[in-house]
Amino acid sequence: PALTRENNCLNAAKACNLNDTCKKYRSAYISPCTSRVSTAEVCNKRKCHKALRQFFDKVPPKHSYAMLFCSCPAGDQAACSERRRQTIVPVCSYEDKEKPNCLALQASCKTNYICRSRLADFLTNCQPEPRSLSGCLKESYADCLLAYSGLIGTVMTPNYLRTSHISVSPYCDCSNSGNSKEECDRFSELFTDNACLRNAIQAFGNGTDVGVWQPMPPV
Amino acid sequence: QWSTPGRGCLLREIHLNVTDLGLGYRTKEELIFRYCSGPCSDAETNYDKIINNLSNNRKLDKEKPSRTCCRPIAFDDDLSFLDDNLQYHTLKRHSARKCACV
Repeated sequence: PALTRENNCLNAAKACNLNDTCKKYRSAYISPCTSRVSTAEVCNKRKCHKALRQFFDKVPPKHSYAMLFCSCPAGDQAACSERRRQTIVPVCSYEDKEKPNCLALQASCKTNYICRSRLADFLTNCQPEPRSLSGCLKESYADCLLAYSGLIGTVMTPNYLRTSHISVSPYCDCSNSGNSKEECDRFSELFTDNACLRNAIQAFGNGTDVGVWQPMPPV
Repeated sequence: QWSTPGRGCLLREIHLNVTDLGLGYRTKEELIFRYCSGPCSDAETNYDKIINNLSNNRKLDKEKPSRTCCRPIAFDDDLSFLDDNLQYHTLKRHSARKCACV
């Protein structure tokens, strides 16, 4: 018999549509995120973001995280990883006409109280710590995943990059950083190359949240 | 024996693949489809009895007005799914929420 490889992201979408709450809030964000409002705009981004925030606020993590953090076998690009990338409807919620500088995006986030508090939450709860076995200073994968998912629906909305390993980023880069190139790279790497966040996502996807703290012996 | 008219008309549900709906979508996603079914004979009004009698007496020529039907009076929430080409679709008014003899 042919061995069919499980597509965790597809299974999560199926489970969502069989649950009344998840189904309702899923279509409640997909509708505004896929409705063209004019020839110039693919969607109403403000409405899309608001509905995405509602989805992560109202739907139990069992369903919302299962779709956002589903694990995909390496090399399975089309079926699994692309579906995972499409979870937030990136054409509306993520991509933009121009890719801003990450520090400029951070500054614009700080002018909005929701974005400012959620970014602060993310920087606190997903702060990496190489000496911790979990990779996190605050050794709680659940808090890091909650803080990360809280950014979805703000101007800092992150998404998976098309890379072979797990890497995420808001829609920005560090070109045109001038004197602040190092500061920008440091900020950007908290998304793209953050062991705490990566471990948290992988642990959820594999169902192996370790959550133990093993401090290094004092030197 | 006292009984509620139309109580045989009930909301039922079935677990299906989106492709089973026959709407032309190519996807592996699934849904719960809810529909209304059951007899409505106990909910018939004088209107329905008259229609029935007139049809039997051939006083309505060839017309056949419909009698009480078990139908949705409210629809379920919208359903969204991603198809095999990574396009989202949203179905509206596709599944029943509440039924009645109408």
